[in-house]
Amino acid sequence: MFKKLWKRFVKYRIAYLFILPTAIGMMLLHVVPIFQGIYMSFLDLNQFTLNQYLGAPFIGLRNFYDILINGNSPIRLGLVEATRNTIIYTAVVTFGTLFIGLIVALMVNREFKGKGLVRTLFLFPWVVPTYVTGILWGFMWQKEVGIINILLKDVFHILPTKPFWLIGPNTLWAIIIPTIWRYWPFTMLLLLAGLQQIPEELYEAADIDGASSWRKFWMITWPLLRPVWAISILFGLIYNVYGFNIVIMMFGFGAGFPGEWGDILMTNIFRNAFMQWNFGMGAAISVLLMITMIIIVNIWFYYYRRAEEIRG
Amino acid sequence: MPYYLKKKVIKWAVHLVMIIMLLVTLFPIGWMMFCSVKENLDILIGKIPLSRAHNNTHEIFADHDSLWVLTSDGGINKWDIKSLKETGYVSAQTSSTHYLFDKDYIWVSSANKGLLRFEKNNIKKSKEFKMPLPELDKAKVVNTTLVSGWGKIYLTVQYQGYEGLIEFNPATEKTTRVFDLTNKLSPTQIRSLLPVGGKMWIGLDKGLMKFDIKNGKVEAVYDLSQYLPIGVARLKAVGGKIVISGNNGAFLLDPATGKVIKTLYADNVLGLKVFGDKAYIGTNRGYKIYDAKTGGMAGHEMLFRQVRADGTVIKDSEFVPSDVSAFLKVGEKLYIGTTFGRISVFNEKLNKVVDTSSARQGHLVISWINYVDMWKNVEFGLYLRNSFLICGLATVFAMMLSTLAAYALSRFDFPGSKVFSMAILATQMVPGMMFLLPTYSNFVKMTEFTGIPIKGTFYGMVFVYSVFYVPFSIWILRGFFAAIPAELEEASRIDGCSPLQVFWYIVLPLAVPGIIATGVYVFLTTWDELMFAWVLTSADTMTIPVGIRNFVGNYQNRFDLIMAAATVATVPVMIVFFMLQKYIVKGLTAGAVKG
Repeated sequence: MFKKLWKRFVKYRIAYLFILPTAIGMMLLHVVPIFQGIYMSFLDLNQFTLNQYLGAPFIGLRNFYDILINGNSPIRLGLVEATRNTIIYTAVVTFGTLFIGLIVALMVNREFKGKGLVRTLFLFPWVVPTYVTGILWGFMWQKEVGIINILLKDVFHILPTKPFWLIGPNTLWAIIIPTIWRYWPFTMLLLLAGLQQIPEELYEAADIDGASSWRKFWMITWPLLRPVWAISILFGLIYNVYGFNIVIMMFGFGAGFPGEWGDILMTNIFRNAFMQWNFGMGAAISVLLMITMIIIVNIWFYYYRRAEEIRG
Repeated sequence: MPYYLKKKVIKWAVHLVMIIMLLVTLFPIGWMMFCSVKENLDILIGKIPLSRAHNNTHEIFADHDSLWVLTSDGGINKWDIKSLKETGYVSAQTSSTHYLFDKDYIWVSSANKGLLRFEKNNIKKSKEFKMPLPELDKAKVVNTTLVSGWGKIYLTVQYQGYEGLIEFNPATEKTTRVFDLTNKLSPTQIRSLLPVGGKMWIGLDKGLMKFDIKNGKVEAVYDLSQYLPIGVARLKAVGGKIVISGNNGAFLLDPATGKVIKTLYADNVLGLKVFGDKAYIGTNRGYKIYDAKTGGMAGHEMLFRQVRADGTVIKDSEFVPSDVSAFLKVGEKLYIGTTFGRISVFNEKLNKVVDTSSARQGHLVISWINYVDMWKNVEFGLYLRNSFLICGLATVFAMMLSTLAAYALSRFDFPGSKVFSMAILATQMVPGMMFLLPTYSNFVKMTEFTGIPIKGTFYGMVFVYSVFYVPFSIWILRGFFAAIPAELEEASRIDGCSPLQVFWYIVLPLAVPGIIATGVYVFLTTWDELMFAWVLTSADTMTIPVGIRNFVGNYQNRFDLIMAAATVATVPVMIVFFMLQKYIVKGLTAGAVKG
C-alpha cells in the first residue's frame, strides 16, 4: 500500500516539486486563514479582546444568533439592508452588464471602417481603476455640482428639481450604474471572442432558409454563446457580491457611510471589522456569505452541467 | 421599401446607436479629465465650459494710426485708431500682467512667464526673459509692476516676503542690478513704481518710499497706512506733486515732506493717469479729473456698454457705469477702458461718448496648476513608487509560482491534482474578508512574538499579493499550457531531455505570451486593490488606492484636485493596457471562451 503510494509519488515528483511553493503559500494565506476565520466567527473578538487573538472568549453561535435571529441587534438591522441591496445590486449589475455587453458585442462584430478603434474605445471604462470609478461617479452624482443633475435639470430639463443621488433609495442606482459602466466592456470582450468563433456557414445556411435576424440570433448566436454568457454570469455573481471599491469610494470619497440604500455586504463587513473592530462579527458574516456563495455556485454548476449533457 | 435600401437604413441606424453608446460610455472619463483642468470655483457653481481669463483693460496706448488695447489676460489688441477695427491681435496668456510701451516694443511682465518682449511691427513675441527672482509660487504673485526710466526698465513683483527691485537694460537685454528694498516698514510688499527726477518713488503696501537709484539707497520712507491701509496701488506725478491712490481713495502728496496735502477722491480708485496738468482718476462708476492748475474736480459716469453673463458686450446697449482702469488722451478724444475689454471714446469737447468697442475675450484658462497643487498635497511620488514596487514584485512572484503549478496541473495527473484544482476554484468563491481578518490578526501576532514587523512592510504586502493572485493565474495559465501540444514534449523526452529541461527549454518559451498576458492582468488587478492595502499598509508603504482615498477624504470640496488625482491614477494604467492590449485580450478571452 505505502509502497504503491511512494512509487506514484516518485513518478510524479516533478509535479509535486512544481506545486510545492504554491501549496505552501496557499496553505499560509488561504487554507489556514479560512479555518482560523471560521473559528473566529465563534469568538467574541472585538476591540477589547482583539489582543487575545484566538484566545478571545468562545461564545458559540452567539454571533450567528445576533446576525440571523436576534431582532434587537443593531448589526442585524444594517445587515438586512445590506443583504437586500447586495441582492438587487448583484442581479441588476450582472444581467445589465450581460445585456449591454451583448448588444455592443453584436454591434461591433459587424464589418465597418474603424472597427479596431471603436472596439478599443469601448474598452476604456474597464481600464479605469475601480477606486477611480467610485471617486469619479461620486463626483458626478453630487446634488448641486454633479454633472448628471446639471444635465438632467439645467441642460435637458428632464427633471424639475435636482434629486439627491447619494442619499435615499436613489443610492441603489447610484452604485449600480457605475458598476455596470465599469464592467460591461469586459463582458463584451468575452462575448465578442465567442461571436468570432461561431462559423459563418451557420448564418449562411439560415439565410438560405429565409430566417429572420431575430430567429438567427435566438437559434444560432445565443445557444452557441452559452459557455461565454454562463461564465460571465458566474463571474458577475461572484465579483458583484464581493464588490467593494466602487461603493466604498463613492460616499464621501472613501470617508463616508453609504447609507441604508447604498450599503452592500462587503462594505458592511469592512465597517464592522476594521472601523468598529468587531472581528468576530465580521468573520461570522463572512462565513455565512461564503456558504451562500458556495451553494449558489454549485447550483450554477448543476444547471450548467445538465444543460451541457442535454446538448450532448 | 426595397430590400437593399432597408438594409442600408438598418446599417446606418445601428451605426448611430453605436456612436451614441460610445459617447455615453466615454463621457465620464472625458469629464474627469476635463474637470481636472477646470477651476474649482467653476465646478462648485455648476458651470460647464472652461472659464476665460478676465480681459479687463489694463492700458491703452496710441502710436501713428494704431490704438493698442492691452488687457489683463495678456491680450494685445491692435486697432485702427479711427475706425477702432482690429488690425492685429496676439495673446501672451499671462497672469498678473503689466505693460510697458516704448518705440519698438511692448514689454509684458507677468507672474507666470516672466518678462516678455513683443515687437510692435508684426505683433510677435520676440523674446522671453527669465526674471532673476528666488523660487516664487507663481499662483501667489499678486501683481507685477513694470516702469521705464533712465534708459532702463525697472520691474518688481508683489509677493509675500519679496522686497526687491530689478533693473533691466533693454539694450543689452541683461539684468544689470537687483536692489534690496528692505526698510523700516518691512515686511512689506511693493505695489507701484514711479521714476521722477533722479529718484524712484515706490509705493508699498504700508506707505511710500523714496529711493535713490544711482547709489541704491533708501532716502525716505513715509508711513501712509492711515490714508491707504491696503497700500499705494498707483503713483503718478502731476504739477510738481504726487498723486497716490489705492482702495481708499486718491490723495495729493507733497514729495518734499511726504505729507498728504489734499484728498482728491475718497473711494476705490482703479485707474490713474496724468495728461498735462490733469490727473484722471478711474473710479468704480466712471472717472474724476483733478486739474492741478485750478485745483478743481470734474467727472463723468455712464460711459460703457452693457455685458452679457458670458462676458460678451451687447452692442448699442444703454450706457452704464463701470470701473475705469485705463486712460488715453489723444487730442480732444479720451479713450477709457474698463472690465471685459470695453473701450469708450469720450469727446471732451462734445462732452459725450462718440464711439465704443471691445477687446477680444480672454483665453480659456486651463488650470494645469491643479496637478501641481495636487502633487504638492499628496505624496504621489511615494505612492507611485510603493505601488510599482509592491505590484511589480508581487506580479513576478505570482507568475513564478503559478507558472510552475499550472504546468504541473496541466501535464501530470498526479494524486491530489483534482483536490488541488478544486481548492484553486474554491478560493475564488471565498470573500476576501475571510482571508483578510485572520491574516491581519496573524501578522499583528507574529510581530508580537518575533519582533519582526510584517504588517505595513513591503515584503508583507508582496507576500500577500503574490500568493493571493496565484489561484486566478493558475486558472488562466492552465489553458495556455494545455494548448501547447504534448507531442513536442514527448519528442524532446525521447531525444534525451530531462523533465526539467523539457519545461525550461521547450514549454516555457512557448508559454511566454500567456505568462505576459496573465502577468499584466495580475499587475492591473493588484494596482486596483484597495481593501487589503487599506488594512495592511502603513504611511510609508501606502499604495496609490489607499493614498488617494486618504487624500480625497481630506479634500472633499476640492473637486479639481480630486479629479486631477483620479486622472493621474488612471493614465498610467491606460497606457500600460493599451500598449499590451493584444496580449491581454487574447489571453483572457482564450481562457474564458474555452469554458
